[in-house]
Amino acid sequence: MLATVNSATLHGLDGRSIRVEVDVAPGLPGFTIVGLADAALQEARERVRGALRNAGFTHPARRITVNLAPAELRKAGASLDLAIAVGVLLGSEQVAPGPGRPAMIGELSLGAEVRATPGTLPMVASLARRGVRRVLVPAAALDEARLVDGIECIGVESLAEAVGAIRSSRSRRRVVPPSRIDLGGAGLAAAPDPPGVEREGWPDLADVRGQLEARRALEIALAGGHAMLLVGPPGAGKTLLARTIPGLLPPLDDAAALSATVIASVAGGERIRALVRRPPFRMPHHTTSYAGMVGGGPKLTPGEVTRADGGVLFLDELAEFSRDVLEALREPLEEGRVAISRVIGAQTFPARFQLVAAMNPCPCGMAGTDGGGCSCPQTVVDRYASRVSGALRDRIDLWVAMPRLPPAALVGRQEPEDSATVGARIAAARARQQGRRSGLLNARITGRELRAVAGLDGTGRRRLVELAEAERLSGRGTARLVRVARTIADLDDRASVAVPDLEEAARYRAFDARTAARLAV
Amino acid sequence: MFGVGRAGPLGPDGLVADGEGSAAPLALDTLRRDPDQDERDALAVLVSVPGVGPATLARLIGAIGSASDVVSLAQRSGAASRLRAAAPSRGERPGGVTDEVAEALIDAARQADRIVDRVRAAGLTVVTLDDETYPARLRATELPPLALFVRGSVTALSARRAVAIVGTRSATYVGRQIASQLAALLSAAGATIVSGLAIGIDGAAHAGVVAVHGSTVAVLGGGHDRLYPPAHARLARTIAEEGGAVISEHAPATSPARHTFPRRNRIIAGLAEATIVIEAGRGSGALTTAVWAMEQGRGCYVVPGPLGAPTWAGCLELLRECHGVARIVAGPAELLADLELPDDPSAGGDVDTEAGAGHVGVPSVAAVLLELGPTARTVGRALVAGLATPDDLVAATDLPIATVLAALTVLEGRGLATSAYGRYRAAGALAAASPAGRRRSRRQFPGTGRRG
Repeated sequence: MLATVNSATLHGLDGRSIRVEVDVAPGLPGFTIVGLADAALQEARERVRGALRNAGFTHPARRITVNLAPAELRKAGASLDLAIAVGVLLGSEQVAPGPGRPAMIGELSLGAEVRATPGTLPMVASLARRGVRRVLVPAAALDEARLVDGIECIGVESLAEAVGAIRSSRSRRRVVPPSRIDLGGAGLAAAPDPPGVEREGWPDLADVRGQLEARRALEIALAGGHAMLLVGPPGAGKTLLARTIPGLLPPLDDAAALSATVIASVAGGERIRALVRRPPFRMPHHTTSYAGMVGGGPKLTPGEVTRADGGVLFLDELAEFSRDVLEALREPLEEGRVAISRVIGAQTFPARFQLVAAMNPCPCGMAGTDGGGCSCPQTVVDRYASRVSGALRDRIDLWVAMPRLPPAALVGRQEPEDSATVGARIAAARARQQGRRSGLLNARITGRELRAVAGLDGTGRRRLVELAEAERLSGRGTARLVRVARTIADLDDRASVAVPDLEEAARYRAFDARTAARLAV
Repeated sequence: MFGVGRAGPLGPDGLVADGEGSAAPLALDTLRRDPDQDERDALAVLVSVPGVGPATLARLIGAIGSASDVVSLAQRSGAASRLRAAAPSRGERPGGVTDEVAEALIDAARQADRIVDRVRAAGLTVVTLDDETYPARLRATELPPLALFVRGSVTALSARRAVAIVGTRSATYVGRQIASQLAALLSAAGATIVSGLAIGIDGAAHAGVVAVHGSTVAVLGGGHDRLYPPAHARLARTIAEEGGAVISEHAPATSPARHTFPRRNRIIAGLAEATIVIEAGRGSGALTTAVWAMEQGRGCYVVPGPLGAPTWAGCLELLRECHGVARIVAGPAELLADLELPDDPSAGGDVDTEAGAGHVGVPSVAAVLLELGPTARTVGRALVAGLATPDDLVAATDLPIATVLAALTVLEGRGLATSAYGRYRAAGALAAASPAGRRRSRRQFPGTGRRG
């Protein structure tokens, strides 16, 4: 007899609704899965066989053919296990279907438990788009699945529970209607996360002593979404400063939060209980591979640039990353997305991250410190700096040199500002930018719009020309200067850019070891 | 050492007798006639011929008459044999110039106009040995180059006081810091700094001078059109713009090569009254410059480095080998005394207006800062106290960090401050202004202080 069950698989960041057709027919006993199933899916035969037996059902000694439609789509992962098992039960008439036919998503263990697979949220969303009314999901992923509006989600912990759910029209474990979101972005649970919870585990800006220039630059970078590079010897506080970022970023707005939740769901890892409002902060190690950074692999897994979408990608020891990996950042930095083509298809992932990077000035790290700690020949220092290509350097708006401070400066005369104070200024500056016509952060505005929002008067324009000439800035460099100045004015809540804003912005210009040599050490 | 005997390029028997009977005694005097533009152009053409060094050229000119005569001879038919015969070299080789060189000479002579146009288009001044403007100190050495291609100020070459600073290309931060500070110090004391524009010590020395708007001369190892190293193109431009000069004895199109650098070194040593070696490993080209300087009776000063540091080993070796001739640099004040340069330029009034432009009269800090806005003035005053991070400046001025950073841009734009690795120091007129000028002589070198 033929049985049909709706389910879904994950394809990149999207769910794809799949029809699982199971035909249990007389003939030589066998179990075949057709429809471009990958290795994990082929192994579903063994999991289903074990689960059926251990749940007290029989594995029919007949010819079982499973077809996964649409046939031309490659399917990967174990999310179809539950649907295949239930299909076998229906097809062999061990279970009689109830009235409404729910869809189902989940991986089976040999002990017939239902386990969660990555990407429950987009898979459920794809079923909802198809008009499916009810879906059985692994109990562990119920909170995540319930974020999707317009579909009833029932959490099941075992195959037996799933069978129970399809026998009756009502679920035994009726779920309290949750606070739901519409995938269009309307009707969201608006309760913001308590700030204290969100900032747990990350240092507060009050823990960072001194380094006023770097603190100021960080505030500007986060307020305007500008890419930033910190250069300094080990122990200057680069990493500590960068680790305060999660506590400084304002929570994500609805659209960004949805996107972040989908990515978090697909990436797996932590269990998702609510919409992810905290902007992602990713700090991949410098040995990260190309596929790890941009995404890819056999299942088109999103990489670090996508996991940092809407948040910050922090690359510590920038010069130690492999050249290929760094060059791969150019497209996402420019376009805000990354296109990956692999055998199983092409996908475009969002990658609207803000780059924050840190590096030493030279291989030994001590260039520029007192007492002649650096023993690197100039050529070695140059070569080290040139590991970061010109194309990437060009996309970094703020450059900050962090000297190692003497102990006296660290003991401190004045209590530094904490994250809450600075975070409030950043949020206000961002709100100001988003209130403008395009709603973009300053780092992304260009050309005519940039000129319009800068609002430079005659004096300002003359000063800009002077600064650009003194620094021999390119067109891109000049635009960068204006963008940073615009953010400085936003932090100060001013409508137009003033001369001191430009002069401050000029301090964060690009430098390298060679310019340092030219500028007379 | 450079293929040149102690007796000079022409040898003890530098007399030439050839088949044509123009047996003129060859001496430098034969070259020293009133040069007109044609002669200068002809020399520019001849030095661009590969295989023709100063010695060959001097022989050719001695035999044929003048540079323009050589060129016009080469332009006539059958010139090859006449050229070969014109200047037989002394010693073992019978022919004057080899066939290849003769061919190359004829080739160059045919393209003479193009070569001259190229020099003009590049904006270069040609200074020949006969010119009044040819630097006298260089002329007094053995084997002075017959022609120099100069970008920038020709008078910078003849500054009353000139000191060369040389060292390794693979310099450490400390070495470069010493180079730029000594260069700035000597420049402020009225000396023109001569060096080789290379990466490392040379570049740091030039940069140190440029930062205080002093005068410096860079001697290239190749032609102007093949500026080497390319990374210092901007530095070279700045040197020429700031009243210094970038010079080469090679035609603009000459590529730098292994053998052109030792030749360049003798010009560096020749232009200066003394040569300071800062950081040099064993076998460094800087040592050949130092030895050449000593051979020419010029002063040689060596900054000693720590024992066991490979990039300083050559300095220590030089001090040991040339005991009593090469002198040690014991400190900035001591160096100024040894070179008989004024410690405080304002006190002696002994500032060469050419070289020390910008330091004449040495105004006070307040006067230097007078035309600035109030915040830049406050930050500038705080900078005079010495090397400072932005944190220090905020603490000293009580201004917000944003204001301090903006003020630093203003100061840097006027050449009153420089920065490296997140630290700032006073520069230019601000560094030279009293009271900072008096403090400078007591300042210690980086890396040699704090350890004790």
